[in-house]
Amino acid sequence: MFDIAPDHAVGLYAGLLALPLALLAIRFRPTPRVPGTVLGASVLMAMSGAIHIGLVWTHLDETITAALFVINGLAYLTLSQLYSWRWWRPASAALITMTLFGYLGYIVLGFDAADQVALATKILELTALGLVLVPVAGERPWRRRRWGILVVAVPLLTVVTISVAWIDALARPDTQHVHVGAVLQQTNDVATPEQEAAAKQLYDQTVVAIAPYGDWHKAWDAGFRPGGSQSLPSTHWMNQRNVDAGYVMDPTHPQGLVYANSKHGPVLLGAMFQMKNINNFGPDPGGPLTAWHQHENICFTPFGFEFSLMTPTATCPFGAIDITASPMLHVWIVDNPGGRFAIDIDDKVVKRIDQT
Amino acid sequence: MIKPEAPSGRPEAVFVLLLLQCLFWLIAGLSAAPFVLGGEIHMAGLVLATLLLALGTCLLAIGVLWRRRRARSLAIALEVVCLFGTAVLLLIPLGFNKGPVSMLVNAALPLTIIVLLRKDGEAFS
Repeated sequence: MFDIAPDHAVGLYAGLLALPLALLAIRFRPTPRVPGTVLGASVLMAMSGAIHIGLVWTHLDETITAALFVINGLAYLTLSQLYSWRWWRPASAALITMTLFGYLGYIVLGFDAADQVALATKILELTALGLVLVPVAGERPWRRRRWGILVVAVPLLTVVTISVAWIDALARPDTQHVHVGAVLQQTNDVATPEQEAAAKQLYDQTVVAIAPYGDWHKAWDAGFRPGGSQSLPSTHWMNQRNVDAGYVMDPTHPQGLVYANSKHGPVLLGAMFQMKNINNFGPDPGGPLTAWHQHENICFTPFGFEFSLMTPTATCPFGAIDITASPMLHVWIVDNPGGRFAIDIDDKVVKRIDQT
Repeated sequence: MIKPEAPSGRPEAVFVLLLLQCLFWLIAGLSAAPFVLGGEIHMAGLVLATLLLALGTCLLAIGVLWRRRRARSLAIALEVVCLFGTAVLLLIPLGFNKGPVSMLVNAALPLTIIVLLRKDGEAFS
């Protein structure tokens, strides 16, 4: 959702190229003066049309999709220049609405996945729809009806479009985005015997090295501090000295420990190694068994060190900022159904610990 | 029908942009709510603040549409703060998203609102 699909990049370039051309067309075209909202919608529709036409070349092997892109693109480009036509507003509103629903259908049916080019295009189209519908001061035809459609259709279509794109991305993540907001290090598919042995060695060394921290007081003395809310099932305790020192996957100096917040006090679940810099994945001795992950596009708030997810429109809640956490690798010393090096600890494990 | 001597329509265009911005914040606020249920208690304050921000932005949009001078000033101030925040996040190496959607929503949208409102000051009372 936050990447640009390689076959969609050309659409982005086409849209950007269309912007100055659409502005020039408006500037030099000898037509009756029309409201700025209409000209704005014309420019945005020209950009959307160019994006759709641009996508044709990379979808030639998908005949129906390519044909739809051609029809859609030409319709947008034509309507972007017909703004003095009597039926321009209803035609444009219908085209934009049909395009939005068509796209949502493609997403729901699994023919396509939302990426940055698609989402940016949808935002352009939603803005264009608003500009098409909004009546300017002094305009009388269909004024009340246009207001009615605007205040219902634009919010509804915006919420539905974003929700569908988001739900699809969360429900059908690609192979690299195996977890909400986490991008997995690329590795070979199946671990070799050497990689299995290396993963076991790393696991054994880590279990021995962090065993003393089963007593959280010793972890505290060693410089580990809770890095978030203690009301959550588990909390990461970070050691800033180890973070700053930049140890790389050193079992004796993990950057963090993970404790379950049980009613009997913190119970050690495992260790966390973390690299110092974003996009710099650490060594991967166990291949797919010890793949690092990087949390991208998460909304972080310093109030209680809490996190939420950035929306598809790249927006965070007020008071939170969009960050990327540098690559990390967990080693779980408790029996975790997801695996010894899984991205997350299973909630059931934490609940079981809390109950015993 | 479009009149030969049509108005600029800048306040109406700003209304549409502010309406979209309000919706983006509304979705951000609502999407953080499940994290409150998951135990992130401080997130409740952020959810409330974001929903209030969305409501305020919606009211500003209406105020701009009605050509209220104070709404225009507040909208410009809000967008300047948004742009400043985006600039800061772009400069500090925290991994701020620099994709086209982020640039559209966090940079182009506030900038467009400022430009549209700056040029049409005399239309506001």
